[in-house]
Amino acid sequence: MKQLILDVRPDFKPTLDNFVPGDNAALIAALRDHIQRRDGSVLYLWGLPGSGRSHLLAGVATLAQTLRPVALSAETATSGALVCIDDVEQCHEDALAALFRVLINARAEEQCVLITGNTPPGALGFRADTASRIAQGLIFEMRPLSDEQKRETLMQHAAGRGMHVSPEIVSYLLRHSRRDLPWLMAVLDALDEASLSLARPITLPLLREILRPE
Amino acid sequence: MSHDFWNACLARLEQELPPQQFNTWIRALEASQVSAAGDVNLVAPNRFVLQWVRERYLSRIEQLGVEFFGKPVAVLLELGTKAQKPQPRENTTPVVNGTRGESARSALDGDSEAHRIDAEIPANKAVHAEVATPGNREKTRLNHDFTFDTLVTGRANDLARAAAMQVAQNPGSSYNPLFIYGGVGLGKTHLVQSIGNEVLRHNPRAIIRYVHAEDYVADVVRAYQQKSFDQFKRYYRSLDLLLIDDIQFIRNKERTQEEFFHAFNGLVEARKQIVITCDTYPKDIEGLQDRLISRFDWGLTVQIEPPELEMRVAILKKKAEVDGLDLHDDVAFLIAKNLRSNVRELEGALRRVMAYARFHGREISLELAREALRDLLAAFNRQLTLDVIQKTVADYYKLKLAELLSPKRTRNIARPRQIAMYLSKELTPASLPAIGDGFGGRDHTTVLHACRTIAELRLADQQLNHDIHVLTQVLRG
Repeated sequence: MKQLILDVRPDFKPTLDNFVPGDNAALIAALRDHIQRRDGSVLYLWGLPGSGRSHLLAGVATLAQTLRPVALSAETATSGALVCIDDVEQCHEDALAALFRVLINARAEEQCVLITGNTPPGALGFRADTASRIAQGLIFEMRPLSDEQKRETLMQHAAGRGMHVSPEIVSYLLRHSRRDLPWLMAVLDALDEASLSLARPITLPLLREILRPE
Repeated sequence: MSHDFWNACLARLEQELPPQQFNTWIRALEASQVSAAGDVNLVAPNRFVLQWVRERYLSRIEQLGVEFFGKPVAVLLELGTKAQKPQPRENTTPVVNGTRGESARSALDGDSEAHRIDAEIPANKAVHAEVATPGNREKTRLNHDFTFDTLVTGRANDLARAAAMQVAQNPGSSYNPLFIYGGVGLGKTHLVQSIGNEVLRHNPRAIIRYVHAEDYVADVVRAYQQKSFDQFKRYYRSLDLLLIDDIQFIRNKERTQEEFFHAFNGLVEARKQIVITCDTYPKDIEGLQDRLISRFDWGLTVQIEPPELEMRVAILKKKAEVDGLDLHDDVAFLIAKNLRSNVRELEGALRRVMAYARFHGREISLELAREALRDLLAAFNRQLTLDVIQKTVADYYKLKLAELLSPKRTRNIARPRQIAMYLSKELTPASLPAIGDGFGGRDHTTVLHACRTIAELRLADQQLNHDIHVLTQVLRG
């Protein structure tokens, strides 16, 4: 009989504090500063998928919620809001029109805008008036984490779930698995699930079983 | 004798100058009597025209004087008003006055209620429904940081700035509408808001509204949904100054165009000032009613071009100064040399440098700026290649790429080739020999000659200048 899991593990909530900055410390500082701004400032953050853009955006949104309205789309932006647009490259036409209106009115509306994307502003393929307004802001490219920084992130992620993971397991993961963070974290989550449901400790053999192709 | 000379002069200049320049600057002049000393007196309608003619056309007029009189004559420019002059040439003068407004009224297709409202507004007296209290300033939607003082002026925008200043000092009675066009991020919004802030400074009771065309469209939609068109119309016609930004956004929006048409006519008739910005020349706006396009030509149309290097440096230093920073020339030059297309990019780069310096607790230096902008500069510098420029120019002039690179020297091929060389020099870091090589193995002196030729032609040939403006926009995306 399969053991039922009482799902009382602490949720992993992305915050600025639990993001391993690596070479992105200047970015984190700029984000903390950005949360307070009401002068129409734009901060644009771009990088490869899995580099942590969404984590940071969610962290900023969570932190800002205690201070001011937060809008997670341009369509819902209210006066004084921090407007957070994740994966702007996926915005459809109406969303882009709404974004443009936010960009031209943000100062008067005492808003500030945080946008993430997968390319520099000029390569988004947007209308020049939109792209140039994004480019006017503070632009940061996410610096990928080194293996050591990924190791630190994974250990931190595991600790957040209450898992006891040995350094050997993380080393194995970094050597044998895909190496982007969302994937690595998903493997850790799966390892935790398997450990609980099979009532087995978190060990290298268990990890190998999980990673073994069906 | 003076009038004979002036008529001959007009005939010559009409042939020599592009129509818009001729109509705007030369036709605005009026010849008065030859003085006892044999001087020719020309009357300019305002200080702005006077200065412009003095700087650009006076020497040519004096040359024509030598040809006409057979001896050197002094051509004196002086100020005069429309009222002092004979009947103005209504169809060509850049100034729209009340008489012209009447023709606008006759062009209206209905809306008698709106006319009644207009008729209740005295022509020369502002309707002060609201006073410029801080709350009223809020309603203007003006950004008080955008003033003439904070606007950096250079060759790229000196004409537009002078015209804007003229309008700000004489709203409703100089150029109406003032139509300012140029690419994105070149300072159009700053300029129109400067007009608004200047008018407000002189007359705190003036009713001013800065509106982006996107918001104007939204206002129309809201009025339609809430069935409040009367209120909408009353509001827009109560304005002393309407600043409407990026008018191209009303293209293909018939109802909005209809409303704007009536608002435009109402305001011009009442001698209220309208200032319009756009990303292109009025006749090139697609999806806009002809009657609107023709009205945009009533006043003065001025262009803002991308800023040259010195102006970009000045802009950066000014922006840094606003943030309390004394930006060194070498840092400003580093940014300005690498980011060429618009002011917003410059601003973004400066922000980046300042944030980087603040975070690392270091002074801003050339070395720090290079570190801070490494990624940004790499991204911008890999954007344009000679191939892309050649292909774009060939497409624009409907030539084959092979023709552009061929030895042929017929005008219809040689001129686009020179333009492509000029753009290659302006938009890429390629050396002149490298550009020559890229154009079928030509010598670098050929490239140099092309660049000089195009730079000179741009000053006199408005069509060519416009072509380069469009091509630059296309290439810079």
